[in-house]
Amino acid sequence: MKIIMDGKEVAAERGQTIVEVARRNGVYIPTLCHVPALEPAAMCRVCTVELVEGRRTRLVTSCNYPLRGDAEIRTDTPMLRQNRKVLIELLASRCPDAEALKELAERYGADLNRFPAEDRQCIMCGLCARVCERVGGNVLALCGRGVEIRVDTSFGRLSPTCIGCASCVQICPVNAIRIEDMDGERRVIVRGKEASRVQLRKCTSCGIHFGPVIDLGPVLDRAGEGGVPAFNASVCPACSRRSLARRLAERHFEQHAVESPDADEEG
Amino acid sequence: MPESEATCCQEPEVDFVVLDRIIRDEFGGRREAMIMMMQTIQRRYRYLPEPALYYLSQVLGVPITKIYEVATFYASFSLVPKGKHLLHVCTGTACHLKGSGGMVRHVAAKLGIAPGATTPDMKFTLETVNCLGACAVSPVVVFDDKYYPQATVGQLNEFIEKVNAE
Repeated sequence: MKIIMDGKEVAAERGQTIVEVARRNGVYIPTLCHVPALEPAAMCRVCTVELVEGRRTRLVTSCNYPLRGDAEIRTDTPMLRQNRKVLIELLASRCPDAEALKELAERYGADLNRFPAEDRQCIMCGLCARVCERVGGNVLALCGRGVEIRVDTSFGRLSPTCIGCASCVQICPVNAIRIEDMDGERRVIVRGKEASRVQLRKCTSCGIHFGPVIDLGPVLDRAGEGGVPAFNASVCPACSRRSLARRLAERHFEQHAVESPDADEEG
Repeated sequence: MPESEATCCQEPEVDFVVLDRIIRDEFGGRREAMIMMMQTIQRRYRYLPEPALYYLSQVLGVPITKIYEVATFYASFSLVPKGKHLLHVCTGTACHLKGSGGMVRHVAAKLGIAPGATTPDMKFTLETVNCLGACAVSPVVVFDDKYYPQATVGQLNEFIEKVNAE
């Protein structure tokens, strides 16, 4: 399979997507909705590249275009730059303050104030819904369609299945999701609206709240393995380390106490 | 069934035996048939009751969020109860030119509801559709699943009177 990317032949395996090949060969393609660990969804469209087919070229989204045979790809042409510039300007009208867009705007000379801003704090990349399906408890979903599409919980209610993993918070490219740990509860807040509330685990030693209390069954099912012991801890990581250190120290001194009676004074 | 003050609509009791018949017997409990199951459920209750969707999710092993996505994606699914009689008025380009906008306004004013809404007595739901694919015979309305080509305001009045006479 011969793949030519921006005039140079690059190494590629059959079935790899264009973006994978580009990343592996150090070719830059901008993406907003792409995370290698998740199924590509081609939602943001900024990764669009030109695929040369004979004398014609075709625009394809590189994140979900698997290469099956010889191909020539152009990742940075005047048309693509213009295309990306307008896309960023349009996305910026939904999310005027997003850092990710500001960076791209600088690169492509986009005017972030070209279209009137309507702050919806979301670029509809769907990453939160995809990661929630894979990692979390299937809380967030893309509801509705067209201009009315939005991220929401089912029936718009607080979700009982949330495990409070905060993957959605981590993955959101425009920081529209946040968690608040308060009064022994973790709240996941999507664009200002509370999506779920998870009880937090209280450390039996020092009393601080440290991790969500979750229904382990589905999590272990997804992980495909029987034991993730950290989930059942009743003391927080800090106390756990402290008590381990204490135990080690005690054992150390006990041994030394037997071997040499004056070890205590040295220690 | 108790009348609730907060919601104007009486929610029908969901019969899980009926749901089982739809999900398991009619479609063999196959996930691929989920949309058809939802259509059948909607035909029975005139909307998708929430308990029915949760039950469907349990039986099929499909997360409720996925079912909710589907239910909100397709315009033909409704999550709020519909009236006993459904009137769809096409507002596609051809029908619009033939005055369907005025027809919608007429019915809305006569029933005192907005397009997409249901009368408080749960008898009548007025909906607009983008195109019914019958532009040659515009304006088209669909009343209780029956198509009426070249509809007139007089015809719509007849429908409303028929419903009110019940």
